[in-house]
Amino acid sequence: MIEIKDLHKSYKMGSNSLHVLKGINFSVEEGELVAIMGSSGSGKSTLLNILGMLDGADSGEYNLDNVPIKDLNETKAAQYRNKFLGFVFQSFNLINYKSAVENVALPLYYQKVNRKVRQEKALKYLEQVGLREWATHLPSELSGGQKQRVAIARAMAAEPKVLLADEPTGALDSKTSYEVMDLIQKINDAGNTILVVTHEEDIAHMCKRIVHLKDGVIVEDKKIEQVRAEQYV
Amino acid sequence: MFDRDIWQEIFNTIKKNKLRTFLTGFSVGWAIFILVMLLASVNGMQNGFTGQFNDDATNSIFVRPGRTSKAYAGFEAGRRIQFTNEDFEYVKQSFPDDIEYISGRYFTSTSARYKSETGSYPVQAVHPEFQIIEKTIITDGRYFNEADFTNKAKVAIIGRKVAEDLFKNENPVGKFAELNGLTFRIIGIFIDEGDDNAERRIYAPLSTYQRIYGNTNYINQIALTYNPTYDLSKALEFSSRLEDLMKRRQKVSPEDQSAINVWNYAEAFDDISSFTAVLKAIGIVVGSLILIAGIVGIGNIMVFTIKERTKEFGVRKALGARPRQIVNLVLLESTFITAFSGFIGLLFAWLILSLIGPSIETPAFSNPSVRSSTVITATIILVIAGILAGLLPAIRAANVKPIVALSDK
Repeated sequence: MIEIKDLHKSYKMGSNSLHVLKGINFSVEEGELVAIMGSSGSGKSTLLNILGMLDGADSGEYNLDNVPIKDLNETKAAQYRNKFLGFVFQSFNLINYKSAVENVALPLYYQKVNRKVRQEKALKYLEQVGLREWATHLPSELSGGQKQRVAIARAMAAEPKVLLADEPTGALDSKTSYEVMDLIQKINDAGNTILVVTHEEDIAHMCKRIVHLKDGVIVEDKKIEQVRAEQYV
Repeated sequence: MFDRDIWQEIFNTIKKNKLRTFLTGFSVGWAIFILVMLLASVNGMQNGFTGQFNDDATNSIFVRPGRTSKAYAGFEAGRRIQFTNEDFEYVKQSFPDDIEYISGRYFTSTSARYKSETGSYPVQAVHPEFQIIEKTIITDGRYFNEADFTNKAKVAIIGRKVAEDLFKNENPVGKFAELNGLTFRIIGIFIDEGDDNAERRIYAPLSTYQRIYGNTNYINQIALTYNPTYDLSKALEFSSRLEDLMKRRQKVSPEDQSAINVWNYAEAFDDISSFTAVLKAIGIVVGSLILIAGIVGIGNIMVFTIKERTKEFGVRKALGARPRQIVNLVLLESTFITAFSGFIGLLFAWLILSLIGPSIETPAFSNPSVRSSTVITATIILVIAGILAGLLPAIRAANVKPIVALSDK
């Protein structure tokens, strides 16, 4: 599903150049649930941003579902993002003046799905995350866990090839974190490919594979025995 | 652009951001409101001033004799100049190309009687063409014509007030009234807008009066209108030629200011025109300054709005919005708000103008109104300005990398 070869990325900081990714080689099969770990400054968020086409790499290869991702203009990137990727952010990033169902329907709007289908699908995904009765509520009326579940429903609504989650539990207490991870595991059980960036060990162990990043290189990449989040909920 | 979804998006945004929308809209609506009121006021003043002069044809010249103030050609100073029919004919023959209409004027007064009603009224004995020079409006009957004039017919045209005084409820046209003991047939009634006193006047043929009263050929004044194709400089040149000719004929010193008075409407009208032109220029300048203030206001709010929404745009882009869709969204929203609130401001101004406008009727101010084309132009300018004000920040916001917009660490 994802294939990365010798990926480099550096940021200019005034006159200095900060080499963040120093040759990443990495691939993800369909249906995997991968945790990308690392302390802050290890380059994990940068990698996720490149994977999410939110940022471009300096050099290297990146293929997503056998489509080379290179030199995309904004419009093309937007199209690919819409088609291939779903995003879950640490700070949820729901649009605060839109109700839960409107937030979930937004990627479908950009896919030019007609209104009625949009509404139905959005409600279906809200149902899946257990928030159907909260459909007309604004984000400000939801708890952190609920917000993240809405965000996951929104990411899933576009039926992406890959779900990218950047510290999805970073702003949540542990109980809600496990609820969210339970949801992510269930989505993965259904066959979806998911990448989770985290620095929390317990969260990482709820995935099926852990990739350790340190100083811009992968230092460890191992398959693990998944810890089910269900038992903590 | 006519996609229902995008409008739904926009209405949604507007509904959820009432204060922001109100603030943006208010600065636009207010600017348009003030602009319309300002232009209407200038227009009202202009209408007021020109209204003062509209009574007579704007291309008219009046030639009045006076007393000489300088000794000249063997005559002493203080000699009284008297125009006669010969002078009238002479002027008429001398400037066939320059003169449009010409009439002599003889001022007198009369006691009038119809049945038991009597009154005393000023009389102006004139030529038939005087109707056009004075813009006399006949409401009933007719003015006297060349035939009446040649036949020295005893006919009279009376003002509305005279008709009310003497004839009460009867229709005076065709009736006979006694003027200074002689029977005149009333052939017409006239009105004069804006001047009640002028309606207490009686017009009669000059020839008739000259024969009846002393068999003279005296004329008190010569009134004429010049060729209407003349511009101001040509009109002034003509009136000075006319003055020179009359001075030569009456043997008056060319330097004598009081013997013959040539009063040219164009001159007075030119002063008024330049005055109202200055007023108008001030109106336009102040109006554009207010427009600029409105535009800056919109720009300000747009920049602020877009800054505030940068994160939202980042989310939208992460969800697959193309940059153009972001720009479109912002621009359509701002255009809709500016156009709508501009229209509201316009409506308010028009409402106020049509409510209080007609009740304001003073010599210096009347019928304050604006041409709709001016207002529409201003609105279009404002809307375009609103778009431009929103365009730059919108493009910048749309091109922000989502990662920058979303970075919250």
